[in-house]
Amino acid sequence: MNSLDNEHISFEKVSYTYPEADQRALCDISVTVPRGQYVVLMGSNGAGKTTFCRLLNGVNPHSTGGMLQGTVRVAGLDTKLHRVAELSQKVGLVLEDPEAQLFTGSVKSEVVFGAENLGIERGELADRLQRSLKAVCLEDLMDRVPTALSGGQKQRLAIASVIAMYPEILVLDEPVSQLDPAGCNEVFSVIRELNKKYGLTIIMAAHQSEEIARFCDRILVFAQGRIIGDGSPREIFANKKILTEASIREPQVTALARYLGKKGIQTQGVPVTIEEMEQYLLELWP
Amino acid sequence: MGVLLLLTLVIFIVTDLMLIGILFFMVVTVWLMARLPIKILWQYCKMLLVLFVILIAMQALFYPGKTIIYQPLIPEAVPLAGGLGKISREGLIFGIIISFRLLTLVVLMPLLTMTTPVEKIALGLIKMGLPYTAAYTATITLSMIPILQNELAIIMDAQRLRAFQIFDRGNLFEKLKAYPALVIPLIIGSMRRAQSMCVAMDSRAFGASKKRTFLEDISMKSSDWVVLVSVALSAVLVVGIYYSDIL
Repeated sequence: MNSLDNEHISFEKVSYTYPEADQRALCDISVTVPRGQYVVLMGSNGAGKTTFCRLLNGVNPHSTGGMLQGTVRVAGLDTKLHRVAELSQKVGLVLEDPEAQLFTGSVKSEVVFGAENLGIERGELADRLQRSLKAVCLEDLMDRVPTALSGGQKQRLAIASVIAMYPEILVLDEPVSQLDPAGCNEVFSVIRELNKKYGLTIIMAAHQSEEIARFCDRILVFAQGRIIGDGSPREIFANKKILTEASIREPQVTALARYLGKKGIQTQGVPVTIEEMEQYLLELWP
Repeated sequence: MGVLLLLTLVIFIVTDLMLIGILFFMVVTVWLMARLPIKILWQYCKMLLVLFVILIAMQALFYPGKTIIYQPLIPEAVPLAGGLGKISREGLIFGIIISFRLLTLVVLMPLLTMTTPVEKIALGLIKMGLPYTAAYTATITLSMIPILQNELAIIMDAQRLRAFQIFDRGNLFEKLKAYPALVIPLIIGSMRRAQSMCVAMDSRAFGASKKRTFLEDISMKSSDWVVLVSVALSAVLVVGIYYSDIL
């Protein structure tokens, strides 16, 4: 159990090539994630974040048919040896496009869709329905038609239907890229809850630096199929070299601090959140 | 659902105008009983009107009927083409019959989809023996139609923003030539979304095992049996009348 806690997810020298591709999408990735960590994947499009996400629940290689070298282990299971359906009970995957994840005509049946596929018996289904909707704050909308929901609500519904399968790990591939700021906030707040209150290990590919800086434990920076940065938000956002190489935007306060530095006003450290900036400025001008 | 299948069968068999008229009347009655908007019924009629006119015209001209009601458009004397263009009464009637059959069939489908929530349709199919993967694939595809309509509207707007005004101002010919500008983005977008949907469905263990549970259930209530039996009886009646007339 101890090694499982330290290595809830482990990649050992993993490379992946999509079928009919000339180059490897991921090259020699080795990384481990302990249980309960909130990890964010950053990097430009095509850097390998989506490939990484889909390796976690077996879509790569089982559904896409590409070539996997090395070993991916999630919650103790080797993804090569287990089907996507089995892995889906340990790892849930939420995609970028809310419309591509809605299959039914009511919120209720959408949430239990996955659990029904697993053959969970009816009493348990009702229970999971309640708890999943509560976790994403959608209990009042049980009988609504999914297509009539707002973007943020749709994405939270997708999250609910994934966690109704009771996974230990939640993978989200750019969950807020297609949402307006309000929807963005709703979804981020739900993800934080799932991590802090329910203890899910979170792997999220995202670009929203401010949110990432405030709440995430660790950032993995991807560029051209490799991981070129692995550290806390502070370490990564202070590293100009990594940011440029991966085309990552730093949080606005960090950019501001750098600008002030050029003008001769040097803060004590590199701020990544507004609170930190406030702190540093108060130190300069008490 | 059984009602749907039965009625479809009967429509294919019967080719007498009056009986078809009765069937159509039945379908419209059910439509009204289900309190569905008449406006939509009318829209279907309008959509198919062009097709009907063509059908009726073609049948009128080319059906080998005996009662000529109009002289040939091209006089007999003209070589090769002479004698064509006879309009026969049988042809006219046959054209009308075909149009009506088509209309009744077309109107039958929305009767099902507009009165029943998608889940119940899927459950119905599954109860009749269809494997759940096929049933859900069918219903999910059906539910994509409004999404595609939305997308089409968005693509048209996007093209308008690029000063593409053929659909607002062009003639029929230009519109036809310009269709790829609308259809290609729609198809590519749909294919991309379909790929994502596959990933999402796999991730929810779709098709993992034959044994699947259902939160909701449907069963045949007594009212369902009454409807089924009465439709079956009327179907037998209609077919019986049709064949007895022939004989």
